Parts: sequence; structure tokens; C-alpha cells
Amino acid sequence: MKTNDVILQTTSKVVFFIIILFAIHLFFAGHYHPGGGFVGGLMTSGALVLLLLAFDIKTVAKGFPIDYKILIGIGLLFAIGTAAGALVFNVPFFTHVFGDVYLPIFGETSLHTAMLFDLGVYLVVIGVTMTIIQTIGESE
Amino acid sequence: MINLLVLPLLIPLVTAALLIFLPKSIRVQRAVSVVSAIGTLAASIVLLLTVKDNGIQTVNVGSWDAPFGITLVSDTLSALLVTTSSLITLSVILYSFRSIGEARERFYYYPIVQFLLVGVNGAFTTGDIFNLFVFFEVMLMASYVLIVIGGTKIQLRESIKYILVNVISSALFVIAVAMLYSVVGSLNMADISQRIAQIGSLPILTVIAVLFLIVFGLKGAIFPLYFWLPGSYYAPPVPVLALFGSLLTKVGVYSILRSYSLFFYHDQAFTHELLGILAIITIIVGCIGAIAYWDVKKIIIYNIIIAVGVLTFGISVATEESYMGTVFYTIHDMIVKAALFLLIGVMIKITGTNDLRKMGGLMKKYPLLGWTFLVAAFALAGIPPLSGFVGKLLIVRGGLAEGAYVGSLIVLLSSLVVLYSVIKIFMNGFWKAPKDYPGEENQPVLSLWAPGALLVLASILYGVGAEVMYPIISQATDALVHPAIYIDAVLKE
Amino acid sequence: MLVIAMQVSLVLITIAMLGFIYRLIKGPTVPDRIVALDAIGINLVAMIAVLSMLFRTYVFLDVILLLGILSFIGTTAFSKFLEKGEIIENDRNH
Repeated sequence: MKTNDVILQTTSKVVFFIIILFAIHLFFAGHYHPGGGFVGGLMTSGALVLLLLAFDIKTVAKGFPIDYKILIGIGLLFAIGTAAGALVFNVPFFTHVFGDVYLPIFGETSLHTAMLFDLGVYLVVIGVTMTIIQTIGESE
Repeated sequence: MINLLVLPLLIPLVTAALLIFLPKSIRVQRAVSVVSAIGTLAASIVLLLTVKDNGIQTVNVGSWDAPFGITLVSDTLSALLVTTSSLITLSVILYSFRSIGEARERFYYYPIVQFLLVGVNGAFTTGDIFNLFVFFEVMLMASYVLIVIGGTKIQLRESIKYILVNVISSALFVIAVAMLYSVVGSLNMADISQRIAQIGSLPILTVIAVLFLIVFGLKGAIFPLYFWLPGSYYAPPVPVLALFGSLLTKVGVYSILRSYSLFFYHDQAFTHELLGILAIITIIVGCIGAIAYWDVKKIIIYNIIIAVGVLTFGISVATEESYMGTVFYTIHDMIVKAALFLLIGVMIKITGTNDLRKMGGLMKKYPLLGWTFLVAAFALAGIPPLSGFVGKLLIVRGGLAEGAYVGSLIVLLSSLVVLYSVIKIFMNGFWKAPKDYPGEENQPVLSLWAPGALLVLASILYGVGAEVMYPIISQATDALVHPAIYIDAVLKE
Repeated sequence: MLVIAMQVSLVLITIAMLGFIYRLIKGPTVPDRIVALDAIGINLVAMIAVLSMLFRTYVFLDVILLLGILSFIGTTAFSKFLEKGEIIENDRNH
């Protein structure tokens, strides 16, 4: 049966970007407020799931040609690399540094290496959730 | 280098992350795994030597000071265990090349083994009770994958049970940690010990001690909680079985040893008595299983339970001598169990069956395998001068000195049963009339035998070199008998 | 006055939720249950909005957005399952 999904597909295209923006907001809010890489990653995969619902695996794979298992590896390397960077400076494992930096548009911004670690978490969460959803969601 | 003790965790973790990128190129995966396992082993040996010379090493992760942040602590005991598990993982990886099968190798077998090593080494190294839970979870996640990877029917069935049991025990673990935290208000193991010593023996602490015993007993398979082990461990292929049998249960035993020597040593009349009784029943149950079965895998699996019983008996006696015996025996048992699993794996490969009654006469064609197996069998039973002897002797002497005659006698008798059960494998598998097995010529017997022989060699060296090991082991025991050593090293007062 | 109004509305929302839960358990058909589930999500959002007004705080606003998105995706998935019998298709033009 051929069904008509115009409404779902059109809204999904718009809502997708709203969710992604919200995910990015959550990711950066995690620095001082509730949020962070884990929730941000979950939200991002929520957005991807919405696309999968409205379209199908093949179309989404064409739009985002990403192997999610590779994404897990990249995320892990990011997280471990940030933690292991402490080894180079001979300070205890996982020691982070931070500082206030003046950036052109944002003005006075506090930058923290913990954010790089969080980025790793973010990527791992997207990778894991999307791998799980794609494996158990496929019909064949 | 202050981060030395992180290396045995970090090397496998980085390797695992790198291996995720190359699931299809098996050769690269094998090469990288072996190089990293050798690196881990080297790092842990350096760590062991450093700890031996300079005392307990600690790292306050993220530069948060000791009672507040997470502390990684490497005393002699944990460095010894880390070294042993790295050695075992190295030989299991070598063994897997010719036996695990390409399908599993393509399905992230090697990265998962590395993740398992991260979990095991982390559990041995951490000095924070909640972090111990986290490393338990890392280890369990990896073991969930390893038990189901390949997806044969029996694996799928047993993995459900295994996951259920472990999810429940993990939940109990968190509850136990929360209860402990509500009483003492700290998660740092050294700090907990100090605070418990201050508040003395509250009844609630005894309850928590028993709760921890249930949690660790579920992982370590002591008497009423071992029910899942024979079935679940039977399902996965031999290399995975060797990893599980030698590492996972020992993590449980190590946790009991650590928590009962560091936290719960105030109400010994109840907690250690209970542990002792459970240990004795565990030994008996294991003995019954080891005698009853004709299946080689099952026999060795029940031998795990016997060993856990012997070790927990050593912990329950709680004197310096019995602790020393426990440490000695733990390391011996890890090495020998892994070796035995790998060797019976070769037998199963040759004959194509698990059933002893269908085997026979392997000695004629594979004398090397036969004699290696015999040495490993004698070591397991504790025949001097092999490595099982010293540990058992110390445990029994400690038990007799404390007046635990029944337990000591049962530990001694269990040696006979262990000897009988492994000699049964030897007599039926290697002696008797030779038989023809279809397809035995194609099996790479020599390259499968080598990793097992490596472990047997390590076990012989460990037994013969007991004199050399003695100062290291007694250093490890010191920190168990005198918690103050451990506490001072962590809190640096 | 406003506080009382908010408290009353909280009670009303709770009663409405009970009704939805009844429909969720009883609901003779699957679509009934899905509508009830979706309405519970919306009620939760309303409840948190009223609560954050009562507590005079902004920190719950993220939660509202999160719940809204999750309940939207959830309802979409359920409805798609009802209509097509599968949630994620491999290839639509097939």
C-alpha cells in the first residue's frame, strides 16, 4: 500500500534542525548547568530517529554517509585522548585545564578541556544509540 | 612518571578504540592486539617492580584530592593481579588466532577482549568503591558480548540467564554502596576503612557486609549463588571460557578479599564465620560436580568453584598466614585454570567432542600435549614443588592455627578430589586405546598448544621460584593485615 | 491568588492524568492507548510549566522542550507502526 507522508516528511525536515539546535544547546549548557555530552548525544540521535521514521534507512544513509560504529571509535579516542593528555605533562591522569579566553564574536568565554572529553561522550552516545536502533529497527 | 599505574588500563582501552576502526582486516587486528597485550604486560611488570621498590603507588584522578575524587591505588596485591591478568589475556589472544573462527574475529572479538582487560585491570586497581562498580560494569558489558558473540543456540539461551543474574547483582551492588555511603559518608576505600574504625561495629555495618558478600559472591560464585556459573560458562567457546574462568571469578574473590580485610574486619565472629561456612559448602558442591561429570569442560568449570571455595576459606580465617596463602593461591589458580582451559580446548579441537568417554589415546600422537596437561593437572592439585602447593599449605596451616579444623581438612580432601578429576581427564583422554578422529590432521595442534604451554611454564616458574616470590607476596599481605599501610598511602597523612 | 490558581490547576492536571492512565490500561484498541500516551506527555509538559512558575525558576524549561520532543517522536513512531506495521523501513520505493 502506497501511503502519503507529505505532512510528516515536511515537518520532520524543519523539526530536525530545531532538535539539533536544542541538542547543541544542551551540549554546551552542560558546562555549568544540567546537560552535557550524554543528553546532547541522545537528543541528536532522537533527531536522526525522526528522520528515519519519516524517510527510510537508505535515504538517511545518503544524507548522512556515516558508519555509526566508526563514530564510536572516534568518540572513544577523543575521550581517551583528552584524559591521556595529562600523561604528556606528567600531571595525574584526567587532569583538565581551563581558562578565560577572549573570542571575536562571543566575547569573554571560558574554555575547558573537559569539553573535548564531553565531545567524545557525545559522539559515542550517538554511535551507540544509532547502532542499536538501526539493528533492532530494521525489518529484514 | 606518576601515571604509571594508569598504563595497564590505558593501553588496552586505546587499543580497543583503535580496533573498532578496522573490523574487516583480521591480520591487522591480530597484530595490534598482540603488540598491545605485550605492552600491557610490560607496563604491569614495570609497575610491579616499582611498587615493590617504592611502596604503594596512587593517582588522584583529575587532581582531585584523595577522599573526594577518585583514587587509583596500586599496592603489591593489585599489581600482582594486574600482571597475571595481562599475561593470561596475552596467551588467550594468541590461542584465539587459530580457534575462535573468522566470523567472530570480524565481529569485534579482539576489541571486546581488550575492553574486558580494561574492566578487570581497573577493578584490581581502583581505590574507590563506586569506581569499582563502574569497572565491574565495563567488565560485565564486555563479557555479555563475549558470551553471545557467534550466536549459537546454547549461547543465546545461556546469555539471557547470565545477563539477568548480573543485572540483578549490579543493582544490588549499587544498593550496597549507597547503604555504605549513608552510614560512613565516603566512597574512597581508604577513607571508608578509617571511618568504620572510628564508629566501631554498628549492626548495620554487618548487614552491609553480608550484602557485599552477596554481590561479590554472585560474581565470584560462592555456594548459594554459584548456580548460574556451570551453565553460562559452558556456552561460549574455549578461549572466552578461559578468560571468564580465570579472570571474572577472581575479580569477585579479590573484591571480597579487599572489602573483608579493609572494611569489615570488626565483627569477624559473624561475617568471617559466615564466609567460612559458605566457603566449605562451596568446596563440597564443587567437588561433587567435578567428580560427577564426564564432560571435560564441565569438570574444569566445577574446579573453578572448588578454587573459589578454597580462596574464600583463606579469606575467612583472616590471619597473616592464610591471607598470604590466599594471595599465593589466587595467582596460581588464575594461571593454571587458564592453562587447563586452553589445553582441554586443544583436546576438544582434536577429538571434536567434549565427552571423555569418546576420547582416548591422545598420548600416542600428541605426547607434548599430554605431558603439559599432566604438569598443569598436578599444579592444580597442589603437588610440590608446583605452584598450587605453597598456597594451599599456607591456607591450611593458617586454618589449623586458628582452630578451623573442619575447613582445613576439607581443603586438604578437596585436593584429592581435584587430583582425581583431572587425572580422570588424563587417563581417559590420553591413555586408553587410540581412536581415529575425523579431521584431526587439519587441526593446528602445535600453535594451539603453545599459549597453554606458555602459561604452564609460568606456573612452573611461579611454583619453583616461590622463594623469589615470597617477599613480594608477603609485602602484598602486609597491606591486607594492616589496613593502616593502605590508608596512609592513599590519604598521605 | 495566582498561586492558588496554579495549585488548583496542578490538581486538575493530575485528575486528567488519572483519566488518561485509565484509558491507557483499559483502552479497548491500540489507537486509544497511543492517544492517551501522547496526552500524558502533553500533560506532563503542562505540569512542569506550572511547577516552574510556582517555584519561580527557569531550569525546568529545558525539561519541557526535551519532553515535548521525546513525546512527539514517540507518538510519530507509534502512529507509523499502526499505519505501516513497521517503524523503520529499509527502502521506501521498493
